[in-house]
Amino acid sequence: MTALKRLFDWKLRGVRVVEIFGAVIACALIFSVYVTKAAADRENRQIASLEAEIADDAERVRLLRAEIARLERPDRLESLSRQAGLQPVNVEQRASVGQIETLAPANEPAPSPAAVDAAATPAATAATAAARAVTEARP
Amino acid sequence: MSHQPLRETPRVVAPSFRWVSRLILSLEHSFQRAKAAGRAEEDTRVRIFLIRIVFGALFVALSAGAVNSALFRGEAPTFGVGSPGAVSRADLVDRNGHLLASNIEHHGLFIDPAEVWDRELAKTQLKRALPKLSDSRLQRVLYGDRRAMVMGGLTPQEKARVHALALGGISFEPEDRRVYPLGPSAAHVIGLTETGGKGLSGAEAAFDADIRAAGRMGEPFALSIDLRVQGVLENELRAAAVENAVKGAVGIVTNANTGEILALASYPEFDPNDRSASMDARMNRAAAAHYEMGSVFKSFTVAAGLDAGYADLATTFDASDPLKIGSRSIRDFHAQNRIMTLEEVFIHSSNIGTSRLAVEMGPAVMRRYFQNLGLLDATPVELKESAAPVTPRNWTDTTLASLSFGYGLMATPLQAVAATGALVNGGEFVPLSLRKGGQQGGRRRAVSAQTSATILQLMRANVIKGSGGRADAPGLRVGGKTGSANKLVNGRYSSVHALGSFAGVFPTDGPADTPRYVVFILMDEPANYPRTGGFVAAPAVGRVIDRSAGFLGVERAADRWRTATGEKIPQPEDLTEAAQ
Repeated sequence: MTALKRLFDWKLRGVRVVEIFGAVIACALIFSVYVTKAAADRENRQIASLEAEIADDAERVRLLRAEIARLERPDRLESLSRQAGLQPVNVEQRASVGQIETLAPANEPAPSPAAVDAAATPAATAATAAARAVTEARP
Repeated sequence: MSHQPLRETPRVVAPSFRWVSRLILSLEHSFQRAKAAGRAEEDTRVRIFLIRIVFGALFVALSAGAVNSALFRGEAPTFGVGSPGAVSRADLVDRNGHLLASNIEHHGLFIDPAEVWDRELAKTQLKRALPKLSDSRLQRVLYGDRRAMVMGGLTPQEKARVHALALGGISFEPEDRRVYPLGPSAAHVIGLTETGGKGLSGAEAAFDADIRAAGRMGEPFALSIDLRVQGVLENELRAAAVENAVKGAVGIVTNANTGEILALASYPEFDPNDRSASMDARMNRAAAAHYEMGSVFKSFTVAAGLDAGYADLATTFDASDPLKIGSRSIRDFHAQNRIMTLEEVFIHSSNIGTSRLAVEMGPAVMRRYFQNLGLLDATPVELKESAAPVTPRNWTDTTLASLSFGYGLMATPLQAVAATGALVNGGEFVPLSLRKGGQQGGRRRAVSAQTSATILQLMRANVIKGSGGRADAPGLRVGGKTGSANKLVNGRYSSVHALGSFAGVFPTDGPADTPRYVVFILMDEPANYPRTGGFVAAPAVGRVIDRSAGFLGVERAADRWRTATGEKIPQPEDLTEAAQ
């Protein structure tokens, strides 16, 4: 009890240290509650703002999906295709994956200059490439 | 100084609090002992100190609890109610998820006249921004005495145009509206809602409760239709309808095995976003209109005859002369004037042959098969528009003859499609459905699997050798039956008012459980000759099949008649004829 009493009676400039300590703790607690509540409020506002943003984005997505659906209307696509001179694919124009190797191109393409170059020596290839670059750079 | 007697601990105390009572009493004893020893001031100080400690401890505990619950406990609080993205009505999508109908936020335009500076200027600018704004309504609100709505249903673009005017007294309020981005495409399938959001027609009415429930979950509601097939059907139906200058037309594509409606189109079309569309255009002719279908019904008569054992493919019928029933004389449109087998009766669409078969079967058998094929009741489909057929009262011989080639019974196109599906899917009547996956239950045996296989064979032969030749599509083994009928006008059948139809099926080969698709097209009152189904409907069916087979996963292949690219394969009879 004596030690406790000494602690209780310990004063600084006439004010008990216990009371100063208590006041400091009370201030710290009040401040921590304020900080906590402010942080919670800030987060709430951020959540509400994000939710509003999500709702706006969702509405925008719905609008854009509707716009895509409008642009992809079957009758609109068909009309545009016909205007572009396109027609439904004919049975002769279709082939299965297994037929790919048997399909011959309508016109055999001539060997490209690049293929000819590749067959030449590396020095010649570089010279040809440089010459082509010069040719292409000309207007 | 008087000592107050200490009261004893009450006997009836909750056991958990007994130690607290004892602690307080022991403290009181120590205080009284201190007082008795002449140290009263210490007694008071200690009491104050203890009270401070108690309050301090309580405050610390409460603060710790508050900090704990604010920072560390539980999950983030929920702000929304229900599922994220919840709407009053779910988006309608096709079987592959393509959007058909959606709820989009529109805006109501409000004006408070007290805040408008120059009313005439505001009127001019608003009319320029919104040309469809009602003059009288705008005038009334601008010169009124309170804030009022001028126009509802503003799209985001319209709202932005008005907002850009920066006029005083203008405000907007959000409103949810149903929009149909596809316009006339699939309009009869999707249907309409009223302003309040309740389904009025089509799938919107048929699945009203389901669409609302899906909307609350924030999920789309899928229909059975395939927008790609729907697009093909609509484009081909429109082209055929314009070419034949028809009064109306119907096109339907179904999966015969599941009963799912993959595409449904009714002509004339309408735009569901246009509230002024005529009732005639809004009518779904596939479900709500009745027709005497003509020879399409011969498939049902022949199937009944085969299934009931009254005939087989080799059974002969005398069609050399018109058939007399009472005072009535039944003739053939494509008269062969000879004795024909059942196959020839089907291929040459002989009224005489099917009439003879129907009369031989009698009313009980015919009624039983027609009942099992769903021809005597409204189609069991979800659409509320599905109409009941007009059936004959008395099933006399002459009625049976008429029924055998599609007169005397007015059925809806959906009925004809459901019955055709039952003939080609192995013999089971499957209810049609607009729900993805089809309807559960309601299936029944209509004809045997053997009869179904024979009908498929006959239908294919009809396309190869008969009236349905224009419906063939290379490598897709198309079968079907044409239908041509004169319409009853003022109590008499008119040759001017006719209808032509074609009920097609593909593929016709393969085992009984092969997925098969029924494509039905009907042209009501074509203006151009010839008005028969083989000319006005069959070509469109062929084009629909040719263009949509890829979407439905049907591979092109050869059968005994044609190669995979549609070239003719020589038949033994051709070789015999060539030798002669």
